[in-house]
Amino acid sequence: MQESRLIVVKRRLTVKWEDFVLAIRLLERAQIWIAILLLPLAAFMLLPLVYLFNHAFKPLHELFLFPPTFIVREPTTSNFAELLALSESTIVPVSRYIFNSIVVTFLSTVAMVVTSAMCAYPLSKHPFPGSKIVLGLIMLALLFATEAVAIPRFIVIQSLGIMNTYLGHVLPLVALPVGVFLLKQFMDQIPNDLMEAAKIDGAREFTIFMRIVIPLVQPAIATISILAFQSAWGNTETSTLFMQEDAMKTLPFYMSTLTSGLANSVARQGAAAAGALIMFIPSLVVFIVSQRKVIATMAHSGIK
Amino acid sequence: MAGKRILSARTSRKLEGTLFMAPWLIGFIAFLGFPLLFSLYMSFHQVKILPKRIVYDFVGLKYYQEILFNSSALYDQLIPYFQEVVIMVPVIVIFALMIAIMLNQKLPGRFVFRAIFFLPVIFSTGAVLMSFMNQGEGNLSFLERYNVGGYIDMFLGDNSWAKPVKQVMNHFVLVLWYSGVQILLFIAGLQTISSSAYESARIDGATPWEVFWKITLPAMSPFILLNLIYTVVDMFTFPSNPVITLISTGNYGYNSAMAWIYFLIILAFLGFVILLYGRINRKYAKSDRG
Repeated sequence: MQESRLIVVKRRLTVKWEDFVLAIRLLERAQIWIAILLLPLAAFMLLPLVYLFNHAFKPLHELFLFPPTFIVREPTTSNFAELLALSESTIVPVSRYIFNSIVVTFLSTVAMVVTSAMCAYPLSKHPFPGSKIVLGLIMLALLFATEAVAIPRFIVIQSLGIMNTYLGHVLPLVALPVGVFLLKQFMDQIPNDLMEAAKIDGAREFTIFMRIVIPLVQPAIATISILAFQSAWGNTETSTLFMQEDAMKTLPFYMSTLTSGLANSVARQGAAAAGALIMFIPSLVVFIVSQRKVIATMAHSGIK
Repeated sequence: MAGKRILSARTSRKLEGTLFMAPWLIGFIAFLGFPLLFSLYMSFHQVKILPKRIVYDFVGLKYYQEILFNSSALYDQLIPYFQEVVIMVPVIVIFALMIAIMLNQKLPGRFVFRAIFFLPVIFSTGAVLMSFMNQGEGNLSFLERYNVGGYIDMFLGDNSWAKPVKQVMNHFVLVLWYSGVQILLFIAGLQTISSSAYESARIDGATPWEVFWKITLPAMSPFILLNLIYTVVDMFTFPSNPVITLISTGNYGYNSAMAWIYFLIILAFLGFVILLYGRINRKYAKSDRG
């Protein structure tokens, strides 16, 4: 009796196994190997994410464990409560910082992407006398550590009279050398015939730019917008240097005041961990939204 | 009449081009170009910030002299980091190329894989990586367990390059996290290769190995150069790198001089990389033909 049941179980198992083998054979064997190879690497890639989420929920005694742990043992929301309590004690409400950050990040990301694309187009497709020099300058600016230009920037902002305004946050970020550099490289790949054809059909430069060039470099645009968002959202420099009024400062600046400037590194670590998670979530959302565009293949874009 | 119209068409096209570039260029000149030149000016001056104004006293090449000949601050920070970069850059580029080629296959669940491998793009600038490095999470414990460091010591001897090699191996996980943008650029590049090239190669009976060397690699050449440049720049201007922290401490004249020296070093290094790449590329193309 028992034996026969065992046989039935065995048969069921073997049938399933055969199905599985069949399914695998449908895929190519090499690709399975690649997937297996990629799995542990992918797991490594996800580690910071796991760490960040778990860190925010660690109770104080777990935050300081050595060696640090990835997974929280006794999850608690006390860090968020601490952050909330801290934010209630400030003169400027935290919602103001959040509002500032959203406005500044939105404006600068749009400005960075649009101006970079507009600048890259003539550099790539309509070389003019001196365009090589402009390109060279952009490359050089890419190499220069921006930490050294704080004072001159301060002087420029002051003489423009945009201290303590949103423009003071946005304008210094607009010239993103990486943006022009990457977009130009991608625009170089667009065949000139495509644009000639449009020109013969009577399209103006602006139409060519909007209808042909921009759709074709969408993967690059998506990449730039991720990078632009990152640099604007995490920026503390403009708040520190160009904003004297507290009401004009941004969220990352507020977050950085939580831990730095304190004599010891123990106090408010919990609030900082919770804050780091809150700062990170918008980045993650923007990433998830725009990486679809990055992944969208160029297959149907006419480049091939 | 006709001549006049051609001229005006040409001017209008020129005007259009200028208009396209104007917003970015104005921002560039105001917030990068002018500040850079100004920092060059400052590097020859002692900058004193008084309550009402800023005073610049001309000191000539004093700061440059001090940095290059009279102190070891720059060399102490730069040389170990430089060694690390020299090893890291090819490792990152080759790794990114390999991953990109894998991700470009028809894998089960490749969209999820791609998203995961792009994820470092949002870590690279953030504080996450920093806190990781501080806590030593970037190290791989298996290296210590199997005493790989000991073998490296035996293999390389006790010269000054053993340490950076070990460090890079230690930071292997960090290599993964540095290569988000590079993987992304490579995949975009791989998608510009037409599938008919691969098909005809397969019909001719080429092995995957040959296909890689004869089709994929030559087509990826501009993207490899792009990634080399991007990686070098990224590594050298990474905000947490030791020389950058050196630039942001001390007085302004000294800082500016330091920044300019550092800038020239990066420029020289990048020039060398591009030259080397061009030479290898040409050699490869020649041997391919012959």
